[in-house]
Amino acid sequence: MKAIILGNGVAGAMTAKTLRELDSSTEIMIISQEKYPYYPRPNLIDFLAGDLPLNRIFAFPADWAEKQKIEVRLGQEVTALDPARKAVEVDRTGWVQGDKIVLATGASPLLPGIPGIERKGAFSLRTLDDAVSLLEFLAGGPEVVILGGGLLGLEIARAILKRGLKQVTVVEYFNRLLPRQLDEIGARLLQSQLEKMGLRFLLGKEAVEISGKETVSQVRFKDGSFLSAGAVVIASGIKPRLELASKAGLAANRGVLVDDYLQTSQPGIYAAGDVSEHRGRIYGLIPAAFDQARVVAYNLAGQEKKYEGTVPANTLKVAGIFLTSAGQILPEGEGFEVLSRLDEEQGLYKKLVLKDGQLVGAIWLGSKKGSVEITRLVQARKNPGPYKSDLLTDDFDFSRLNNL
Amino acid sequence: MEKWECTACGYIYDPDVGDPEHDIPPGTPFESLPDDWTCPQCGVGKEFFQKID
Repeated sequence: MKAIILGNGVAGAMTAKTLRELDSSTEIMIISQEKYPYYPRPNLIDFLAGDLPLNRIFAFPADWAEKQKIEVRLGQEVTALDPARKAVEVDRTGWVQGDKIVLATGASPLLPGIPGIERKGAFSLRTLDDAVSLLEFLAGGPEVVILGGGLLGLEIARAILKRGLKQVTVVEYFNRLLPRQLDEIGARLLQSQLEKMGLRFLLGKEAVEISGKETVSQVRFKDGSFLSAGAVVIASGIKPRLELASKAGLAANRGVLVDDYLQTSQPGIYAAGDVSEHRGRIYGLIPAAFDQARVVAYNLAGQEKKYEGTVPANTLKVAGIFLTSAGQILPEGEGFEVLSRLDEEQGLYKKLVLKDGQLVGAIWLGSKKGSVEITRLVQARKNPGPYKSDLLTDDFDFSRLNNL
Repeated sequence: MEKWECTACGYIYDPDVGDPEHDIPPGTPFESLPDDWTCPQCGVGKEFFQKID
């Protein structure tokens, strides 16, 4: 059996790694457009911040692939896919044939359809090359505007600030930060903490143009206002890379559609990670990419396995601020109960969302203590019974729930 | 026992759980993991882990 894995991010690399652990004889080939070996993308933030040197962002030792008998082709683009033959065309030249194919081609940054995004000084951050060129440009000490107040936007902002740049402004279309991970109270508290670190924010603003001569000099907004900018970083979401799959006739919506075995509409072709859409959902999160990679690897190894979804859980990778957000944090509909505790002075906010007595969502801001435990409880939909209010206290002993 | 977090991907190593998929039984402290143990979620080495309380 030969498995060809397209893409070398967490989904592709961990599919290969897990498959090799399950099966020592399967031929495994990874084809990657990036010219670098596998690295987990969050390392780019630490690299950008100056906390991680370039040579340390890679996950595996240099001889890993060889030792694992995995053929890794770097810097090669898959230009066509023949679903019937399970073959892929590489760099518009030769074809490589396998028995199974895994699409782990990931996503690209979602770029707003506004004039000026191609201008010099406008960036997005997805690949190591992106990070390197952004870093080079930042050496000139420009005023930086970041379009997008989600997790990635905030992490980039903080990393740039850490590089010593003084003027970093995050612009968000919604009227609050982290609209997916926080409610209004949490977002306000987080914002004031980030402002104390030196970040600036503009909320409820829609960028309509990145203007300038050759290089960017301004971001213009729909309400007529503008912000001067020497560099613009666009961090307003991701877009699954569908071209290859669509051209090959695989069923796709926003992502490549997969069933519970993570098989696409074509038997023998699987999809995992940011490119895939499972039960209407595109996760764009490492834990989900990993869960999917694992399921794909088991199925490739002939050990049938179903993917039941991943409970989204996020932590913000910003030094000095602890934020965990798990599950459904903004209840919609009936049958929910919400408990919360806010201590503005301490910068603390905790919120629990219960449905029919079970924990389905949690926000833990300003405290690391208990964040791991609360995430697990949400993932397990635990019913905290009589302890639900106690969970919000500072020193709650989570082992008390074991006997429920 | 102390939990450790992967700074690359956020995976938590919990000694009470171990990493049974990679033959690490429950009850194994982080310090006792083999040198070539890697983050089960993203593959980085032990040096990427930070202790959490």
